[in-house]
Amino acid sequence: MDPLLYVLDLVVFIGIFSIVALSLNLEFGFAGLANFGKVAFFLIGAYTYALLSQTGIPFYLCLTASAFVSAIFGLLISLPALRLRADYLAIAILAFGEILRLIVKSEDWLAGGDWGVSVAPAISIAGASHRVDALVNIGLVYFCLFICFLVVQLLANSPYGRAMRAIREDEVAAEALGKDRTKFKAQALMLGSAMAGIAGALYVQYLHCVLPGMFMPMITFTVWIMVLVGGPGNNWGVLLGAALVQIIERGTNIILSSILSDLQYIAFGILIIIVLLWRPQGLLKESKIGEKALRLAHNGRRATKRKGS
Amino acid sequence: MEDALLSVKEVSKHFGGVYAVNGVNLDINHGGIYGLVGPNGSGKTTLFNTILGLHKPDQGEIYFKDECISNLAPHKIYERGLVNAFQIPRLFYSLSVMDNMLVAARGQEGDRLFNSLFLRSRWQEQEKGLIEQALDILELVELEPWALTPAAELSGGQRKLLEVARGLMAKPTLLLLDEPAAGINPVLGKRIFQKLEDFSHNGIVFFIVEHRLEILFEFASWVYVMDKGKVVIAGQPQAIIDNPAFYAIYLGEE
Repeated sequence: MDPLLYVLDLVVFIGIFSIVALSLNLEFGFAGLANFGKVAFFLIGAYTYALLSQTGIPFYLCLTASAFVSAIFGLLISLPALRLRADYLAIAILAFGEILRLIVKSEDWLAGGDWGVSVAPAISIAGASHRVDALVNIGLVYFCLFICFLVVQLLANSPYGRAMRAIREDEVAAEALGKDRTKFKAQALMLGSAMAGIAGALYVQYLHCVLPGMFMPMITFTVWIMVLVGGPGNNWGVLLGAALVQIIERGTNIILSSILSDLQYIAFGILIIIVLLWRPQGLLKESKIGEKALRLAHNGRRATKRKGS
Repeated sequence: MEDALLSVKEVSKHFGGVYAVNGVNLDINHGGIYGLVGPNGSGKTTLFNTILGLHKPDQGEIYFKDECISNLAPHKIYERGLVNAFQIPRLFYSLSVMDNMLVAARGQEGDRLFNSLFLRSRWQEQEKGLIEQALDILELVELEPWALTPAAELSGGQRKLLEVARGLMAKPTLLLLDEPAAGINPVLGKRIFQKLEDFSHNGIVFFIVEHRLEILFEFASWVYVMDKGKVVIAGQPQAIIDNPAFYAIYLGEE
């Protein structure tokens, strides 16, 4: 085994799951939408990429299409789902993910059914070692992560993000204060789904294959653990959570044999309990909105007042 | 042809078999402070919620600026300048006092997904003005020192004040206030009404539910009295005070 390759591989996975975790943070951390069907949009992005890349379309177009198709599904599911209360939304969207997985599993003509199909890597360099391949993927994944992070971070610190947080706190009050809650939630789901779609595409092109078994509901819960541990409403925290969970997941893979892999879930369980006991708000607290500008305005006013009096 | 700013026509709202609001007619004209009083359970808050679009009326129509608003979503009614402060404050508790204020501003450029990402300078410019405006209002209700504290850390009375301040932040045409002085010490309660009177000189019309009659009657120009879902008396405060029927309704005296 090549330890360096192992680390590079870990870094790629941290990047991919950071994108998914950020998308859940946008939906849950800021807009308060309990999306328990995250894996569905991850799957849609993955299969869109796999099917399109077979036709010889360049990878960046396939990647864009993955985001786009996932976003459309996000919008479609939001139409009926947003009428539901939070807990029913969670159940409905969870079922949606499982249904999709069963469809791609049983419809052999679509993408090889249970056996899946192989996916060409986005960027392949002839004769490159696995290490170089991983390095190329790190570049690609972290470029996408950077863009997604920027989008979520800019949104969170804008009036738009403030309105989302208000809807999360009390949607009736937010509606009575002029915020169209359906619009905000649908847009959050669309954007979050697009990001999950990109992550799905990156995932399958890195693993060179797509199989229904890669999209078990456990993916959704792993991403939830990342957000809850890292701190909902804090993008940096979510990156930290994604790294931590991936390190535990991959780390236990080495230490424990595959027979004992259920111990992973026990490790996650202990992690969640520890974090919820000691830091219920997650490792990092929710980020504040544009604090600096406010502090400046506030202090400036006090200073002029003192002069005046 | 309608002269009134807000016109409630034959509005009814029932929950199950109970008519909370039963055929209410009332007009709010341009300018002034209007009062709405009545015993608990007489339908005042339900009437407010119906006007705001939080309940759809079972019968009747509501006109605001000569436009029928009975079937509009609450956020659309808000954007037209008909704004409300809840009786029990419904603040965004994990957000700061300032953010609570800023959420309420109408017509924000940055409320759109596209603008918030790609036209940042546009809303950032607007935001500066809004922050100043919010600080002005917070100063009036004496909450300015708490501008950056989370709303959850405010006392009960301060939450009430923030709820009212948030309503003012919208620069409304008509502001419905549900018991703004409840749970606030008498001196500050009166001062709030004096502030509201100042705002009413600047063109905001107020429609206020209040049980502290001594304060309300001092400032209101016209008062509606509700009982059992109907408007039973309407008039100037002095006329209401002189009306024996009012005491019968309010105090249950024979």
